[in-house]
Amino acid sequence: MRFMAVALAVARKDLRAELRGRELLPALAQFVVLALVIANFAFDVDLVQGPRLSPGILWLVLVFAGLVAFGRTFAGERESGSLEAMLLTPAGAAAVFAGKALAAAGLLAACEAVLLPAMAVFLGSPISPLVVATVLLATVGMAALGCLFAALSAQTRARELLLPVLALPIWVPFVVVGGRAVQVAMSGQPLGAASLAGQPLLVLADFDILFVVVAALAARFVLDD
Amino acid sequence: MSAILGRCLVQRFGRQVALGPLDLQLPVGGRLAVLGGNGAGKTTLLRLLATAARPARGTLELLGLDAGRQRDRLRARLGYVGHQAGLQPALTALENLELFATLHGVAAGEARAALALVRLVPLAGRRAEQLSRGQQQRLALARAVLHRPELLVLDEPDASLDAEGRGLLGELFEGRTVVMATHDAALARELCDRALLLKAGRDAGDPWALRVVGEGRQS
Repeated sequence: MRFMAVALAVARKDLRAELRGRELLPALAQFVVLALVIANFAFDVDLVQGPRLSPGILWLVLVFAGLVAFGRTFAGERESGSLEAMLLTPAGAAAVFAGKALAAAGLLAACEAVLLPAMAVFLGSPISPLVVATVLLATVGMAALGCLFAALSAQTRARELLLPVLALPIWVPFVVVGGRAVQVAMSGQPLGAASLAGQPLLVLADFDILFVVVAALAARFVLDD
Repeated sequence: MSAILGRCLVQRFGRQVALGPLDLQLPVGGRLAVLGGNGAGKTTLLRLLATAARPARGTLELLGLDAGRQRDRLRARLGYVGHQAGLQPALTALENLELFATLHGVAAGEARAALALVRLVPLAGRRAEQLSRGQQQRLALARAVLHRPELLVLDEPDASLDAEGRGLLGELFEGRTVVMATHDAALARELCDRALLLKAGRDAGDPWALRVVGEGRQS
């Protein structure tokens, strides 16, 4: 109960700061649209190829938008000392971490709210509630892992380099399974009929649980001195 | 009972010894001023006492609890203001304190009470980034006493404070054990009943680098 209260307070604080400062969201939205425009020209996408290439382009854009969003989660607060002030309370590092991951997931979800309609416009991608659900499901685990590595890399000088090096390999499962799930969702066939990877949504949910638990357990060791 | 009991405390950064070895004892209700030049190890010592860092060697008991193993219980009973104010710049003064009320698990009403304590109620709705440096310092002090801690650890709390703000320090110290680092010997004499002079704390392994003056004990 107290864990949730702290996590929600920290998430609210981060989102409020972003809404007031408007530093990250407008830049991310621009990045997303520009990335789609570039992909459109680079792949010479037409209405036939568009839906086929969509899952790959979607994950490519999401991964890089995630790196930008998560990279700023801890670095600024660590430098200003406000992160330490929060950690020196009895709230616990895991609750503070959960709140920051929640806020980062919210930012990425906001980014997806721009990305998915833009994909429909630029690539002719069929966007359905199932596609949205798939992307949101992957966002949970990506945010947990991304924030963990962001917290780790924020302690180093080369954090801009370290975060991608740490996060990208571990995000591969999300890209593989998420790509497959989005492909299935966009094809319109029922998810239950898909093989393997069979039930990509279930596999994504399993990854979410695994990575959220791992991140929550590791957060204390990463954040606390 | 001792509020602070440190035995053979040593802190290292890499191979460099930043502090110690140092023995330290402060009774409940005692007020200790930590004095010394730049780089003497004042902040290093205060960070150990605030549980923001673990000593490389030695044992530290605060308020009867092990500072390494019982940190969470301890943090509910101590307040710390470091070199940086550590505020949330985009939040208002009141929102800053309400956030910390939640983190400490105390009633939200305590936020307004703490704000009143440092005479910042008229600025409750102003963002922290819009406050002057002295007002930010007051807000940081309010945050440190919000949960009514028994032990206050303050790193140069007088920095940027005006005369009224410095006068507030005495009120905040009332009924508490206090350790504060300062460059102002007169203020230390006014507010504290003992002093620890740190000298060349960064000299590797020099046990005589640390000396207690005034009523304090040799360490």
